[in-house]
Amino acid sequence: MSLVSGPGRGGGGAKHDLPEELALFVDKHVEYIQTLDTRRDELEYWLTEHLRLSGLYWGLTALHLLGHPEALPRAETIAFVISCQHENGGFGAAPGHDAHMLYTVSAIQILATIDALDELDLPGRAGKDKVGSFIANLQDPETGTFAGDEWGETDTRFLYGALNALSLLHLLSLIDLPAAVSHVQSCANFDGGYGVSPGAESHAGQIFTCVGALAIAGRLDLVDTDRLGRWLSERQVEGGGLNGRPEKLEDVCYSWWVLSSLAMIGRLHWIDGKKLEAFILRCQDPEMGGIADRPGDMVDVFHTVFGIAGLSLLKYPGLEEVDPI
Amino acid sequence: MSYSTSPDWADVEPIAQEDGDHPLAAIAYMDDYSEAMSYLRAVMAANEHSERALVLTEDIISMNPAHYTVWLFRAKTLFELGSDLREELTYLNAIALKYQKNYQIWHHRQLIMEKLGDPTGEGKFIAQMFEKDAKNYHVWSYRQWLVRHFSLWDSPTELSDIQSLLLADVRNNSAWNHRFFLIFGRQEQYPSFTPLPETVKRETEYAKTAVYSAPQNPCPWVFLRGILKKTKQPLSTIQSFAAEFAPFERPDEVKSSHALDVLADIFAETEGRKEDAVKVLDLLAQRYDPIRANYWRYKKARLTPIPMATTAAAA
Repeated sequence: MSLVSGPGRGGGGAKHDLPEELALFVDKHVEYIQTLDTRRDELEYWLTEHLRLSGLYWGLTALHLLGHPEALPRAETIAFVISCQHENGGFGAAPGHDAHMLYTVSAIQILATIDALDELDLPGRAGKDKVGSFIANLQDPETGTFAGDEWGETDTRFLYGALNALSLLHLLSLIDLPAAVSHVQSCANFDGGYGVSPGAESHAGQIFTCVGALAIAGRLDLVDTDRLGRWLSERQVEGGGLNGRPEKLEDVCYSWWVLSSLAMIGRLHWIDGKKLEAFILRCQDPEMGGIADRPGDMVDVFHTVFGIAGLSLLKYPGLEEVDPI
Repeated sequence: MSYSTSPDWADVEPIAQEDGDHPLAAIAYMDDYSEAMSYLRAVMAANEHSERALVLTEDIISMNPAHYTVWLFRAKTLFELGSDLREELTYLNAIALKYQKNYQIWHHRQLIMEKLGDPTGEGKFIAQMFEKDAKNYHVWSYRQWLVRHFSLWDSPTELSDIQSLLLADVRNNSAWNHRFFLIFGRQEQYPSFTPLPETVKRETEYAKTAVYSAPQNPCPWVFLRGILKKTKQPLSTIQSFAAEFAPFERPDEVKSSHALDVLADIFAETEGRKEDAVKVLDLLAQRYDPIRANYWRYKKARLTPIPMATTAAAA
């Protein structure tokens, strides 16, 4: 996935030789994120509009972790988020886009990050309860899982998102939590991992959503910690990076999905942190900022935030501490 | 084409995106995309489900296939018009082949397939997708949905397709997972379902043959462990098999860290073999899988259980 990718390349492309001992280029990354929204003369900016609200969340989170929460203007951020809201309480990815679980979660996460959840209850706005009921109505009463929108596509991503947003809103009581938990359980595989639906191949991204959901529900006791921890630690490849499934290529975004899952079950030390840190740092563009999926590829905001969040979990000096859930 | 000069669209007043007074949402769309989107907003606002609306969605999808709202509107329109859904599948095939990472298209295809009620031809299309990327997660999820929805558990083509994918790449974990799903996936709906003994035997032999061809491939090892667990057989069933690839007394001849791992688990549970378990775990931590040294040390530490009595002191 990419969101306003480029312009730079991780590792600086062919013309730059990176030094052996790499550091995190904090100022470059702050600048990179700040300028994302000024690139409106590029087609890609508009072709990623269906992700805009999530993109804003990723950029904002990265800035907070980098210790520069002020780098995006607060009032404009709130105004943009509110402009994406529908009457039913849900949010679309951008003004005029249909309400969807994923963007509703991003909206709540953004407002929570900048301590602005009360903005939802201002006169003339839908209110927190409405947001809560939009999310709660997407739960399937039979299976406990969640759909993304009225069309009914289900995915453990939506389930995790629902629990995350509702817990931030203190509205978890609106849903059948035990049913959601038992759906997550049904997605567990014999290898210790979790897939997108019952029987689906274990996938690090889906594992994050399932373990995160169980953490929010206070049911981490249901996780087979040793087996899952083992599967997750096997994601580290020789070069230090992490892949998302067996026999796949490593990718910076799994520094977050795998690492945060390991952190949630208390097994972060089962991978080689130093090697992973070096891999993430090699994916930076030292000149224009941003992080790519792998050295030599185009940077984008998605990999930038997950690379930085991964470094934060590894206690990289100077970064704010991230909550693995 | 330009919508504003087309006679087909003369009666529609396009709806430009509101940019309001917040600069983060300001507008600078590229011309074609921007124009098409403004007509989409107009037909959606008018709830217009028509042939020209379908053409419009195709135009937008060709520029931006990840725009989820367009897909939803298209599905609604197809159903309203009672369009030929086979034709829609042909259209979707081309898009899916072009945009491998797209999410939206798969749910759309599922909606179409549910309405159509006949999966003929899906196997052929999926094979084309796998030619491009045989580990595409969307395609595998969709394939599982097909199996479940149309009850294709015992379909001979399911197994033979998996067979040829594994022949092409024995390290394709997605294919291994599907193979496992075909055997045990029915338990989800029918918890008492157990596969026939000859199926279990066939699958066990299949996995063992795959291990011989690539002992360090994790997939068949996980598959073997899964079969044993699901059929309630002890891990020690494959002890001598694993020992072939992990003669731990002659470390230079070890061919598979996964075989070592199996032996470590068996020894840990076997009276009088704790010392061998330690040897095997040390080999993994120091030589055959040092990147996960902490994990192997943890397993070693667990070999000596802490006496329960110590917890009573606190009371």
